[in-house]
Amino acid sequence: MSNRFPASFSAALAGSAIALALASGAMAQTKSSALLPAREGAKTWTPPKTADGVPDISGIFTNSVVTPLERPKDLGAKEFFTAEEADAYAKKQLAVKEATGPGTYNDVHYDMAQFGLEKKQNKVAASIRTSLIVGPEGRVPALLPEAQKRQAAKAALNRGHEFDGPENRGMAERCIIWGAEGPPMLPIGYNSNLQIVQGEGYVAIMQEMIHDVRIIPTDGRPHAPSNIRELLGDSRGHWEGNTLVVDTTNFTDRNPFRGSGENLHVVERFTRTDPDTVLYQFTVDDPTTWATAWSAEVPMTKIDGPIFEYACHEGNYGMPNNLSGARADEKKLAEKK
Amino acid sequence: MKNWFGSSRIALLALCAVSTSVFPLAAQTSAYKPVRTADGKPDLNGIWEALSSANWDIQPHASSAGPVSSLAADFAVPPGIGIVEGNEIPYLPAALEQKKKNFANRFVDDPEIKCFLPGVPRAEYMPYPFQIVQSPKTVMFTYEYDSAVRVVNIGPPTPAPVDSWMGWSAGKWEGDTLVIDVTGQNGKTWFDRAGDFHSSSLHVVERFTPRSADTLMYEATIEDPKVFSRPWKISLPLYRHVEKNAQLLEFKCVEYAEELMYGHLRKHPKGSSEESK
Amino acid sequence: MKKLLFALAGAGLLLASAPAWAHHSFAAEFDPQKPIKLTGTVTEMEWINPHSWIHMDVKGPDGKVTSWMVEGGSPNALLRRGFTKASLPEGSVIVIEGYQAKDGSNRANGRDITFADGKKLFLGSGGTGAPDEKPEK
Repeated sequence: MSNRFPASFSAALAGSAIALALASGAMAQTKSSALLPAREGAKTWTPPKTADGVPDISGIFTNSVVTPLERPKDLGAKEFFTAEEADAYAKKQLAVKEATGPGTYNDVHYDMAQFGLEKKQNKVAASIRTSLIVGPEGRVPALLPEAQKRQAAKAALNRGHEFDGPENRGMAERCIIWGAEGPPMLPIGYNSNLQIVQGEGYVAIMQEMIHDVRIIPTDGRPHAPSNIRELLGDSRGHWEGNTLVVDTTNFTDRNPFRGSGENLHVVERFTRTDPDTVLYQFTVDDPTTWATAWSAEVPMTKIDGPIFEYACHEGNYGMPNNLSGARADEKKLAEKK
Repeated sequence: MKNWFGSSRIALLALCAVSTSVFPLAAQTSAYKPVRTADGKPDLNGIWEALSSANWDIQPHASSAGPVSSLAADFAVPPGIGIVEGNEIPYLPAALEQKKKNFANRFVDDPEIKCFLPGVPRAEYMPYPFQIVQSPKTVMFTYEYDSAVRVVNIGPPTPAPVDSWMGWSAGKWEGDTLVIDVTGQNGKTWFDRAGDFHSSSLHVVERFTPRSADTLMYEATIEDPKVFSRPWKISLPLYRHVEKNAQLLEFKCVEYAEELMYGHLRKHPKGSSEESK
Repeated sequence: MKKLLFALAGAGLLLASAPAWAHHSFAAEFDPQKPIKLTGTVTEMEWINPHSWIHMDVKGPDGKVTSWMVEGGSPNALLRRGFTKASLPEGSVIVIEGYQAKDGSNRANGRDITFADGKKLFLGSGGTGAPDEKPEK
C-alpha cells in the first residue's frame, strides 16, 4: 500500500501536534513549550505495544476539534497558523454564539449548555492547522458533473416530500446511522467520542453515536464480496510500523459522504503520537465524485469516558412527533382554504 | 459387541453420558486447557453464536404456527428443549400473570419486533453471530443484531449511573471462566419471544468457560426480586464460527420497523387510497 | 509532558456541517408561534437518547393537573460529569420556558429549565464547563 500522504505531511505531523488552548485564568504550559516538545517527541517517542505485540492505540478518545474541515476562504493557501494565531482563532471560534430570539428556529430548541453539550464544555483539541483538510487548498475538491447530477437528482426526489414519511427524513433522525460516522470518522457537535479496543488480529472502534462498532481484521484477508454494501463500508487493516492502516470499500449510496456514494474508497491511518493522543489521518477517493483524492487529519485526544449507551431508535420520540407535527401543519393549511 | 460391554465399561460409559448431558458444568472439571491470550487469560476472541431456539422461548416448547399465515412454514415457531436449568422460571404470582399476558400479545409486544436492543442475556442467544474482542482491561461484545454492543470493564462492579438497554457490565476471571456482573438494565427487554420478562432490578451474572477449541459454555444466573421468587439459571453452548473469513455484517433492522411504528403517521398511509410512492 | 486540553470560553461552533440539532428538526415538532411557560413537579426524568425527556405535572389556574413532557438534550455529557439517574428527583419543582408541540399535545422543548429559585437545571448556561465540574446540589 503506497503512502498516500505527501512528503510534507510528516513535517506537518510534527508541527500540527496539539497546541494547548489557554483558558482564561487557567494554569497551563506556555504555547511555545507546547509545540517544541511535540515536534521533538513526534520523532523520538515510541508508543507502547499491546500484550500481543502490536502498537497500542486503544483507549477512549474525543475527536472534537476547533479546526474546521475546510479552510476559511480568506486564509487562502495558509495551511498553518503560528501558535499565537491558532490561539486567537480558537478563542474567536468558541466565542461565537448562534443568534437566537423569540420565535426563531434557534430558539425552538433546548439549551445545549445546560446539558453540557456545547463544545466549550468538553475536551476540545486545538491545532495550528487552519483546516482538517491538508494541503494548499484545504477544501473539498469540486464535485465532478456526474456527482452534481447525482446529488441534484436525490434532492429533487425528496423536494416537497420532506415529511411524507420516515424514509424522507435523514439517516440520523431515523436513528439508523449518524452523519459523521464514516468512515472517514469526523468530529460532531457533541458526544464526539469513540473507544478503541484491540484483540488479537482485530481492532474494534466503537463510535458513541450511534453505538456502531467497526471491526477491523488485521490478518490480511480480502474485502467482502462486492455485492455486500454496508453503511459503514467494509474495512481491512494492517500495521505499517507504528501506524494502523485501514482500507475501506463496499459502501452504499444511502449515506453520501460529501457527495460521494458507493464508489467511495477510504484509507485511514492511526498513529499514537503521545500517551494522550492518537493522530487520525484519512485519504478519500472516488473517481465518480472528485477528480482528485483529498486528505485530512484529526487529532484524537484521550478522555476519561466512559462512552455511555446512545440507544437512539429506542428513545426516538422525535420521529413520530415530527411526522405528527407535519400532519398538523397540513391539516391547518387545508382548513384555511 | 458383547466383548465391549463388560459391566465396568458399561458403568463408565453410562457415567460419561449422564455427566455431559445432565451436568453441563462437567466442562469446568474437564481437562480442556484453553488457548491463552498474550496476557495469560483464556482467549475468547472470535465470532460466536448460539445454536438454539432459545430466542423463541427459553423454556422447553413444542413447535407451533407462526403469526403470519401467508408465510406459513417459513415463519413457524421451531421446537426447543429449553435452556432453563430445571425448566421452570420461578415467577412471583403477579409476574406470572404478566408473563401470560405477554405471551398472549407476544407478536405485538416483543421489543425485538421493533428492532430494540435485546439486553443481556438475550443478546447471547439471538440467532445472529456476535464477536468478542478481548484485551486485558476491556472486553467488547459486539453483536450483529442491530449493531448492539456492550463494553465489559475488567474490574469490580460499580453502581450503574443510568439505566440502559444493554446494561452495565463488569468482568473478572475465575480460573478459566470470565464472570460478568450485569446491572443497570432498564427493564424494557424480554428474555425471548415468548414474553419472559424482568424489571429494572434485574441482576445477571454470566459465566463464559471455554469447553473446547471452538465452543464456550455459557451460563447465566438471573435474579430480580420484583419478578422472581428466587434466582434461576440458564445455560447453553456457544459455537465458534470457524468458516474462513467469517465476519459480522450489518443487520440494521431499524428501518424494517419503521412502517410498523410510524406508518400511521405517513402523509399517505400505505394501503389507503392515498398511498403514493 | 502532560497535555492539557481546556474548554474555552464561549459557545461551540460546529464543524463544516449542519447545526448539531439538524439531526432532528425541532421546528417541525414545536411551534415557534406557541411559546409557553410551565411550572410543575417532576414525575420522572427519562435519561435517554437521542433526547432526554422530563415528565412533569402542571397545575392549571383552575387547579386541574395535566401532565407534560419536556424535551432536553442527550444526557451522556452530564453522566460523564457525575450526574446520575437520581440527579433530578421526583417531586422537584421546575420552571420550563419553551414552545408547545405543533400537534397541540402536552409537549414542549426545554428552551430554559430552572428550579423554582431560578437556578439553572444542571449546568449553568454559558457556565465555565470545566471538564470535571461537579453537579451542584
